[in-house]
Parts: sequence; C-alpha cells; structure tokens
Amino acid sequence: MTRLARVGLAILTLLAAFAIVGPWIAGDPNAQPDPVNGSLLLPSPAHWLGTDQLSRDIFARLASGARISLAVAAIAVSVAAVFGSALGLAAGAAPGLAGRLLQRLIDLGLALPRIIVLLVVLAALGRMHYVLLGVVLGATGWPAVARLVRGETLRLRHAQYVAAARALGAPPARVLWYEIFPGTLPAVLVASTLGLADAILLEAGLSFIGVGIRPPEASWGGMLYEARDYIGSAPWLVFIPCLALVAATSAATLLGDALRRSLQPETR
Amino acid sequence: MTPLLEVSDLNISFPRDGAPLVPVDDVSFMVSPGELVALVGESGCGKTLTGLALPRLLPRGAVLGPRSAVRFDGTDLTRLSERELRSYRGRRIAMVFQDPMTSLNPVMRIGTQIAEAIHAHRKVSSRDARERVLALLAEVGIADPPARINAYPHQLSGGMRQRVLIAMALAGQPDLLIADEPTTALDVTVQAQILELLDRLRAARGMAVLLISHDLGIVAGRADRVLVMYAGRIVESAATAQLFAHPAHPYTRGLFASIPRLDATTTRLTPIRGTVPRPDQWPDGCRFHPRCPVAVSRCLTQRPPLELVAPDQRAACWVAQGAAT
Repeated sequence: MTRLARVGLAILTLLAAFAIVGPWIAGDPNAQPDPVNGSLLLPSPAHWLGTDQLSRDIFARLASGARISLAVAAIAVSVAAVFGSALGLAAGAAPGLAGRLLQRLIDLGLALPRIIVLLVVLAALGRMHYVLLGVVLGATGWPAVARLVRGETLRLRHAQYVAAARALGAPPARVLWYEIFPGTLPAVLVASTLGLADAILLEAGLSFIGVGIRPPEASWGGMLYEARDYIGSAPWLVFIPCLALVAATSAATLLGDALRRSLQPETR
Repeated sequence: MTPLLEVSDLNISFPRDGAPLVPVDDVSFMVSPGELVALVGESGCGKTLTGLALPRLLPRGAVLGPRSAVRFDGTDLTRLSERELRSYRGRRIAMVFQDPMTSLNPVMRIGTQIAEAIHAHRKVSSRDARERVLALLAEVGIADPPARINAYPHQLSGGMRQRVLIAMALAGQPDLLIADEPTTALDVTVQAQILELLDRLRAARGMAVLLISHDLGIVAGRADRVLVMYAGRIVESAATAQLFAHPAHPYTRGLFASIPRLDATTTRLTPIRGTVPRPDQWPDGCRFHPRCPVAVSRCLTQRPPLELVAPDQRAACWVAQGAAT
C-alpha cells in the first residue's frame, strides 16, 4: 500500500467517523439560536466553524451533512454494485438471445444521460428520505458496473480454471457462482471505490440544484446552495463544505487508484 | 477385455468459408480398464482436441462428424445431452489440464476447490467433504494436508499445484483420467514425480489413464500402449515395448531419431525434415509423405489405413504394411 493510499484511507475513515459521531456532539443542525445578532459569525469557541445566515451552527450542519452525503453516496454505490453485478453476470453468462437482450438492456442504461434522468425522477418524486435518494442514485448507476462485470465474466469464462471446473462436471450455475463471480469482485471493488467520489459529487450537484437533499436538511451540496449569496461577505460558508467535498472525493480516488494498482496490475 | 473407452471415427471439423478445417480426422482407438495409454504427437497434430472431445468439451464452433462415436462403458457420449454428460464429467471421466498455473482458481483456497469438485457430484456434509479433501491431498502426495488445505494456489509450487489438480480430478472417483500434457509446464525433476504419481494412482484405483504428451521419452517407462498422432490422424498404435523396439511408421522412427540418447555413439541428432503442415495445407494420401524418407508413389495419393504390421502393432503406412506381408 502506497503512502497516498494510506492518506486516502485515513481521510475516508476520519470522515466516516465524523459522519457517525459528529451529529451527536455537535447539537441540532437546524437550531437558530439568535437569527438577529448571531448570523454569519466567524469561528469562535461557541461556534467552532461560525454560523450561517440563519445563525445555524456550521459545524453541526457540516456533521449532519457528512452523515447524509456520505450515506447517500455509499448506498448509491452499493445498490449500483449489487444490481450491476447481477445483471452483468447474467448478461455475460446467459447463452444466445437472452445474453444479447441483456447486453442491449445494459447499452440502453448506458445511453440514457444519468443526470437528466435523475433531474426528472427527483423533481417528480419531490422531497424524500436520504436513504431513498441513495437508492435512486444507485438505480441509475448500475449500467457502468454491469458493463464492467459482463466484460469480466466473458473474460473469465475462458479461464483455464473455469474449463477445468466444467471438465469435472460442475453445473453452469455452480461455475458461475463459485468460479466466475469471485473473479469479478476486484474490478467491482475498484470501480465502486472510484465511483464513491462520483456519487458524492453527484449528490452535491443535485442538492445544489435543489432536487437532491432539500433545505432545511443539511448536505454538503445543499450548504453550498444556501451559501452562494454570501460568498463575498462570509466566504467560509462556501469554503468549509467545499473543503469537505474535496477531501472526500480525493480520498476515495486515491484509495480507488491504489486498489486498482494492487488488484488489477495488468491495467496499469 | 471389453474396452472402457472405444473411440471410433472421431472427426472434428471447424466449418468456415471454403473447405472446413478438419484438425482431427477419423481417429479410432480403445482404452481398457486400468490401462495407461499415451497419445503422442507434435503440437498442432490434434491430440488435445481429441482429449477434449471425449467428455465433449470442444471449443465453440467445433463440429463432430456424423459417424463419430465415443463409447464409454457402452454409452455413446456423442449422443447425450449436456445435462446427461455432466454425470459423466468428473465422475466417470476426469481431466487434468496442461498448465497448473492457470487451471486453479486464484481466489479460492485449494481445499475449497477440491471440496467443490466433491460437491459437484454428491451431497456430502462439509465435515465429510473436508475429510475427503484431506485424504485426497494425502493420496496425491502433498505433505501435511491439514496445513495445506487453506493455502491459495499462489502459495504452492507448480508441482504441488499439479498434484492439487490431480486431487480435484480424483474427487469424483473417475474410471478414466485424461491428462493433457500434465508435466509440460513443470521442471524435469518434478515431471518424473507427477508421472510416478499418475502411474501409482492408476494401479491403486484401477483407473485408466489417457496421457497426452508431445514427449515420447516421458511415456517410455509408464504407458502400456502408445498412440502416435500426426496431422490429425493416428499413424501408429502399438504396445510400448514393441513400439520402442521396432517402430514401424517412418514418423515414429523420426521421433526416436530426434530424441537424445545416452547409450548411442552418434553425436548429432537426426531431425525430421520440415515442419508439421497447417490443417488447411494437409496433403493428400499419407499426410507424412512430404517429409517421409521412404515415401513411394502410392503414398502421394492413397490414404494408408491403420493396419496390423506385427502382433500388437498397427501402422498407417504403405511401406510398413508392404514389408509386413
């Protein structure tokens, strides 16, 4: 493991710990203790990262946003990985027409512009729980995973050890589950780790546009959306969630690259 | 003795534009129970395809000829469905492939892989399967099976991996083991051990072995019978002692002349002139005639059948048959 990978893993671990523990120690992210005199305050012992235009504590909102943003991204990536893997395996292993139809289905999923589909779906569904938002993001993220897993399945089907298993009479389902599926996991793990950064940015973008996590709930993208009018007068309102986004996405990318180097040395 | 395996007119072709490629052309042979038969030939002569055809594991696009039959214990395997064949694969006919580096799943512990081969054929508890795995590992000569059972393939040497593959093949207690170049990827010292192991297993289990190899030397001390293949056909079939004492086919003699010998006084080996032609350029008549030192005019046009030239010895050669009669 390279030093950069350790840094990435450490940052992700710290952010995850922050997302779990932070909201407990930081208090209510929606409390408005003093909207008249307590808004747009600089960092101080009472408000570690200052307050926003409604006098809400930014540290509390950052912590709450971390939980929501990271959870949404993690759920999105997991849903895409499970669904995409199942479909990719089926498309790679199914013979004849069924396999071709599944491949067309994956192509269709890849052809749909994800962000536009999400805008339409999220606008139609309105406000939703963040877990459901994660599922919706995942439901549009599977085609990339499915294509990857299909390719791996096709490659592994010709592996000598798969031929050996067939030669010893293993039925097709057992071959798929015990011989081929484990071989696709490294690629899925790498893609999912790198995909985590995408999912974080996607959620931030959607929340910034106003169709993801909606106010008053805190998310990093939503905090940017609410802070955009104060970039001149209170720039830390913009910088702090930005810093969190940069840290999370670059950490996921560093870790994903390191995983790729160690799990898939042939793609270097 | 009734044969365990009787292959007749095995014909494997690949359709394409123009004339189809026929890399295996009317191959017939038999294997008796408990017999070790060696199938020998240069690379590209069709010996691997012949081995794959027995449990019908041919690559996509390959077509079996209409007269081809692979009778195993009385059943013609070419007529069975894929599902019916699965009860033969592993349980009656097992295969060991050439490359032990790639024939094991790199992400599974070897114990799991052998257990998987057991589970493929019968319902057993995981505890019983583990006992069987340990017994199999011991049987193929792996020292300290309880320590090795959790090893991953990359932790084992090539010879050990080949032993693991053999253990997997034995898991279904097959009557016939097809070993396709089982020692080619291994060091010379390990080659002998693996052959020794195969020979011992066949004696202990009464299992027939079809040993596919390009190396006439390694089959010398082990095989009961040798089949020599050239350009998709069997050109000579004889008991091992007879073949080594009096090779009848010029190709077989050429093979012997190109093997270094310790007891010979000659300092230069005699190679066979030319190379094996590609399957789309196989000549008419006897396919060996362009390289044959004794070819006569008949060899250019008429295909020689595989006929007896001596007791226990058949050769597909007009010259050898002429000398015998």
